[in-house]
Amino acid sequence: MNNTTTAVFYDGNSSVPQQITLTLNSFNRTLEFQSADGSTCKWLVADITFEKRSSGLHLEHGAEVLQHIKIQDANFIHLIQNFRKANGQIGWYQKLIDIGFAAHMGIAVVIMALIGLCYVYIIPWAAEQSVSLIPEEYDNELGNSAWVGNQYFMNVDSTKTKLLNDFAKELKLHNTKKLKFTVVKSNEINAFALPNGSIVVFTGILQEMKNYDELVGLLGHEASHVNNRHSMKMLCRSLSGYLFISVILGDANGIMATIGDNVNSLQSLSFSREFEHQADADGFKILLENKVNPQGMANLFKRLQQQHSYTIPEFLSSHPVTENRIDFINTMIKNKKFQTIAHPQLESLFAQLKE
Amino acid sequence: MEESLEKRVAYSLNYNGKGSDFFGIIMVNWLLTVITLGFYYPWAKAKQLQYVYNSTSLNEDSFAFHGTGKEMFKGFLKAILVFLILYGVLFLCIVQQMPGLGLLVFYIGLIAILPIAIHGSYRYRMSRSSWRGIRFGYRGDRKEFTLLFFKWIFFTIITLGIYGPWMAMNMRNYLLGNVRFGDVEFQYDGDGAEYFALNIKGYLLTIVTLGIYSFWWQKELFEYYVNNLSLKRGDAKIYLNSTATAGGFFKLIVTNILLLVFTLGLAYAWVATRTIKFIFENIEAEGNINLDALTQTEENYKDATGEDLSDFLNLDTIM
Repeated sequence: MNNTTTAVFYDGNSSVPQQITLTLNSFNRTLEFQSADGSTCKWLVADITFEKRSSGLHLEHGAEVLQHIKIQDANFIHLIQNFRKANGQIGWYQKLIDIGFAAHMGIAVVIMALIGLCYVYIIPWAAEQSVSLIPEEYDNELGNSAWVGNQYFMNVDSTKTKLLNDFAKELKLHNTKKLKFTVVKSNEINAFALPNGSIVVFTGILQEMKNYDELVGLLGHEASHVNNRHSMKMLCRSLSGYLFISVILGDANGIMATIGDNVNSLQSLSFSREFEHQADADGFKILLENKVNPQGMANLFKRLQQQHSYTIPEFLSSHPVTENRIDFINTMIKNKKFQTIAHPQLESLFAQLKE
Repeated sequence: MEESLEKRVAYSLNYNGKGSDFFGIIMVNWLLTVITLGFYYPWAKAKQLQYVYNSTSLNEDSFAFHGTGKEMFKGFLKAILVFLILYGVLFLCIVQQMPGLGLLVFYIGLIAILPIAIHGSYRYRMSRSSWRGIRFGYRGDRKEFTLLFFKWIFFTIITLGIYGPWMAMNMRNYLLGNVRFGDVEFQYDGDGAEYFALNIKGYLLTIVTLGIYSFWWQKELFEYYVNNLSLKRGDAKIYLNSTATAGGFFKLIVTNILLLVFTLGLAYAWVATRTIKFIFENIEAEGNINLDALTQTEENYKDATGEDLSDFLNLDTIM
């Protein structure tokens, strides 16, 4: 085999191309040539940086004075590469690059599958773990600051607030912390719970209700959000999701990060569906334990459904579509034995709330 | 060897990278980044830049990027330190019940980092790039640039952003005007008023045409960046000229978006390749500088802190 070729040499001081005769000396493990000024150069192969580019194999030598050789002779390139391979001079990185397209595609698929698994199992698990480490006081603080932020925009009905608190006092809500109920004057058909135990009910939704059992169902649902620390869980899940995206997907590939971001927000929507479902189930249990007719819960949902005639695909909506929730309650009613008793006290408070 | 040529010649500027090769690099980097919980990032970045530089050629000889993961990792650590100090001061002020002062210091600090990051990033990137062993370099002065930057930012703030285009052009003129390629000097001749008019026209027409004009706007911006850039050595010059069309941009952008959407982002390597190819295919270079007679003039500069700070701040300032 011919171990000599012609190549182009740049001496690191100017861009003048010099034609040289390059020889691979396998015995000394050097590349040897004579530069234009007549001096002989011997480069140790191990000291050379090799770079395969479209214009040929490029060799670089030296740090301050950067000398450069370009080889275009395919046979000689082959010879050098084989020599380097035989001497174990091909780095592990290059080996990973050389494994080929199919293997790289495989890496992509495996990483994407891992990301999927992380989202489904690891992140919710990690979030659950971290919530149990966070003291309840943080829930309170979180709720308090949200309350302070919202308070200014709310028109509190103090008489009805007192009535609602009396109403709740009659119920067993399984609450671990003190619940504080507030009625706010608004046409909005809504109610929400803050992590500090503040539960806000708008007059709009009270007007929609026809029976006290519906209100018990609603309070049970909201109390479950507080008892299960759903807000904190949600926060931990989206934070850990965010952390995951920035660390793993990070800037290694900007596009992947964007996609991860979108998956994350879709994912949090379905987390919140899961929480709504749990709150429904807990609310139902509270109705049974207080011996209130559980049909109230289904009735409440039916009324809400009439209000929202438009439908959002369940996957994208934060509240599971009412239809599904009604079905769920109806199945529970069918499968569970329950007894109800009259609650004249609740009935009278409810009547006053409706005034 | 003659420094300048008697007749004007055309220089060939090409990108020869392949999407599938780039994909391999990105995937290997991704794997390593995941395994090392993100710590491989500086090395990944170096490899990616090396590939792009190596695949770009001028007169059939490719460029080289000599930056290493190690240099960028050191810079990365220093950049983290800078941000830790900034956040530390903010946190301390909040604890001391002075959130206003904390935020003020924080934002002033952030603005002060910008010119230092840009300057450092230019110095590092340029000195680590070469062609035929001839290094690029950035000769801007950090103090001078920082003062200018503050002046421009001040004008931009008091004019409620109207000065923005002038700032952009002044900055481009300064930064590119200080780039050296051996003994060849870069020059950029941007004009704030022209740039302002170009953008106002582009913005208004894009709204009126419901976005269709944006491709022409893109084309004009590209033209403005390319055509105003030139290289000179003594009397000899190289002029650049854009041949990009709005139709070309339309095809590039729409195909890129479709590729990304339908492959969940996996086609990123091909999208990047198509984009860089498009850029180089649409730049014509002509002039009388003899590229066979460049002299080494620029020194090595291995501090990548500016580069990493720019990365943190999401600055993409390089040309």
